[in-house]
Amino acid sequence: MVALPPVLLIALPLLFAFLAPLVGMVSRRMVKLYTLLVLILNALLSILLFINVMANGVVYEQLSGFYPPVGILLSVGYLGAILAVLINVLSPVVYLSYFGEAENSVKFSMLYMLVTASSTGIVITGDLFNMFVFFEITAVGSYGLVASLRTKEAFEGSFKYIVLGSIGSAFILMGIATIYGYLKTLNFYDIALRIDTMPETARLMSFIFLIVGIGVEAEIFPLNGWVPDAYQGASNRVASFLSVGPSKAGIYAIARLIFTLIPIMSGFELSLLLGIFTLVVGELAALRQRDVKRMLAYSSIGQMGLILIALSLHSETALVAAVFLMVGHALAKSILFIGSRDYSGGLLRNPLIAGPLFLGVLSIVGMPPFPGFWGKWYLMVDLASRGAWTIILLIVFTAIVEGVYYSRYLFRGLNGEIRTLTKSEIASIIILASILILIGLFPQYLYDPAVMAARSLLGGGP
Amino acid sequence: MKKALAAVISIAIFIVLSYFFLTGSAPIDYLKGGNYTDPITGEQYNHSVPQQYVEDTKNDTGASNVVTAIVVEYRGFDTLGEVTVLFTAATGLALLLDELKRRTLPVVDPNFILKSAVKVVLPFIILVGAYIFIHGHLTPGGGFPGGAVIAAGFLLMILVHTTRGLPERKLSITESLAGISYVLIGLLGLVFANEFLQNYLPLGNFTMLFSAGIIPLIYIAIGFKVGSELGGIMHNLKGVHEE
Amino acid sequence: MIPELLQPVFVISAALLSIGLYGVMSKRNMLKIIISLGLVDTGVNVLIVAMGYLPGGTAPIENGNYALYVDPVPQALVLTAIVIGVSVMALALAVAMGYYRKTGTLELDKEGVMKW
Repeated sequence: MVALPPVLLIALPLLFAFLAPLVGMVSRRMVKLYTLLVLILNALLSILLFINVMANGVVYEQLSGFYPPVGILLSVGYLGAILAVLINVLSPVVYLSYFGEAENSVKFSMLYMLVTASSTGIVITGDLFNMFVFFEITAVGSYGLVASLRTKEAFEGSFKYIVLGSIGSAFILMGIATIYGYLKTLNFYDIALRIDTMPETARLMSFIFLIVGIGVEAEIFPLNGWVPDAYQGASNRVASFLSVGPSKAGIYAIARLIFTLIPIMSGFELSLLLGIFTLVVGELAALRQRDVKRMLAYSSIGQMGLILIALSLHSETALVAAVFLMVGHALAKSILFIGSRDYSGGLLRNPLIAGPLFLGVLSIVGMPPFPGFWGKWYLMVDLASRGAWTIILLIVFTAIVEGVYYSRYLFRGLNGEIRTLTKSEIASIIILASILILIGLFPQYLYDPAVMAARSLLGGGP
Repeated sequence: MKKALAAVISIAIFIVLSYFFLTGSAPIDYLKGGNYTDPITGEQYNHSVPQQYVEDTKNDTGASNVVTAIVVEYRGFDTLGEVTVLFTAATGLALLLDELKRRTLPVVDPNFILKSAVKVVLPFIILVGAYIFIHGHLTPGGGFPGGAVIAAGFLLMILVHTTRGLPERKLSITESLAGISYVLIGLLGLVFANEFLQNYLPLGNFTMLFSAGIIPLIYIAIGFKVGSELGGIMHNLKGVHEE
Repeated sequence: MIPELLQPVFVISAALLSIGLYGVMSKRNMLKIIISLGLVDTGVNVLIVAMGYLPGGTAPIENGNYALYVDPVPQALVLTAIVIGVSVMALALAVAMGYYRKTGTLELDKEGVMKW
């Protein structure tokens, strides 16, 4: 089989997004179909890339004809390949829910393609500044998508996202400037090889700058105040897409930062603290919410905290747990967010809607046999083996909190007048739920790549 | 947040940052430190990356402006991303202001001096903009400043044609075609050479207009794209009368 | 230790950053917040450009004396950062315009942006 260059995963959707206005001028009705086809093409490319990585190991690609670190390097590792497939396969499925909509905006579809391409860019790049550029495309595209409903809440949420996002990008740039000031390089591996020559303070400061900046996109404390407002103001499919694409790319960048880029002990401790804080505060805040989208958003924050805890434990089992949690969160949250449109009750009387939503809740709360369960299980196993009982108690406590507010959520869905979703939205959540069931029933197909990803990360690879 | 608290926090940030910038972030002279290693082959070099850019730009890319060589060739993929950021912002802005554009605005008739001066000045502004982006590999400037100069010309047009605004459809077509040609120039690198955005044209005579391979082509595409994008942004921010 | 000439530049960069952050934290008017974000951006750009400066250096454009060129990479990075800043600011202005059309005001709710 011909090994396709990974750069196509970014270049092709960009090309097709640039072409979209012309398609829209020819026939406006074609644009939705066109976008779906482009996204499916990208999904196929990402699956080919995944197969290639699993068979042959990490795929490197130089760009512009210069060897790294002189030129930019793309490097697709195991974790990158898993997330590239996750983002690119789920993105067309979530886009499917847009079909039933009477609204047909060429610009919305263009932003959707661009954000998909750039989230993929974050997970396959091997260059720090290049990652920053993709972060910005993701962020700018998401600002537009969040505000696309054009209501007061949408503009307000988007504005908060813009403010915190630009402060975050200023922090990322300061981190990059500090690292560049000493090492005169921007390539991940070259930085990793020579990071020890930097003085201790400079290393710690650049780590703090980067984790705070990347944390905006990954919904990690302290700059995650935009999350509830943006998710509340966004339309259901945008909220769903944000939990599939940008947030997963952000958490991947954090994984690269703490494992490859600046692997210092105080870094792991700091991110563990941030993770615990994010988890507890997110879950407790979710308990207080009346609005369903806000509740789901805070629950997302909690989940991201859990993933960060798993990442900062620095062991194989915990990293496998992190992969399962990421996949489980992306699938379950995208189902729940699509089902959150006008969630004022009655939605759960339709079995076609109730089924997927129920499965999503089960996976988030951590019931077997869904990915959320496997994630929490491996995490507990690792924590128990090192006797960290306080953290285990905290996780159990937050799981109980989750159980409380999700049962309230399900209960609310059973009362009130009957509502329904559009046919395409139902189709989309059913597809997502079947992927969830498949991964739950055959976890070994995710377990093996996850173990490879964990070993590669622990070895300082991508 | 309370103003006093905000003041205290920002003063604390100021002290921490300036202390760190002054003591911790000592920039090292790139000619003296920062020797790099090729992470794939493990080969070690006894000079830094910027030093290599400075010394090899002439042979590698044929451009006399080292910054341009870095922006378009060595780190060309970043620039594709950068163009995409601007494109994304322009798209998002158009999406948000879609319905706002169609409101009626009070019309102020532009004065006579502005109207007649624009007719004289506009061609020259566009000429200067085009000069800047065509000579990006030789002189300071390039696609982004050149495009911005052209957009300044568009701003004058908006000031004069208060009711009509700019030809939005034509701008949108230009923008799309410029973006497509940028990506295609990159993809042709995969076909004619080995890598995306790799140079496949002759380098030409150093310091001459026709030199530096694909750099001028890319900068022309960027110039058109940035000019039409910024024009579109201003047009959308202004709003139009639908007659 | 950094060159003496650069010390005030770094302090200015830190000052711009913290003034911008103060504006974001304390103001409720969207336009003022956007201007503060512009200050933050500028502060970071000043920092990056200063990172590449050599005392007595020249612009890195062919003049036959390689040893005097300032570091070209930060300039390339700052070009990207400026364009990104402009894009974000344009979008922020559009959002502010939309918010104004819906509510008739540019003031955010009581706690401003920092509400968690």
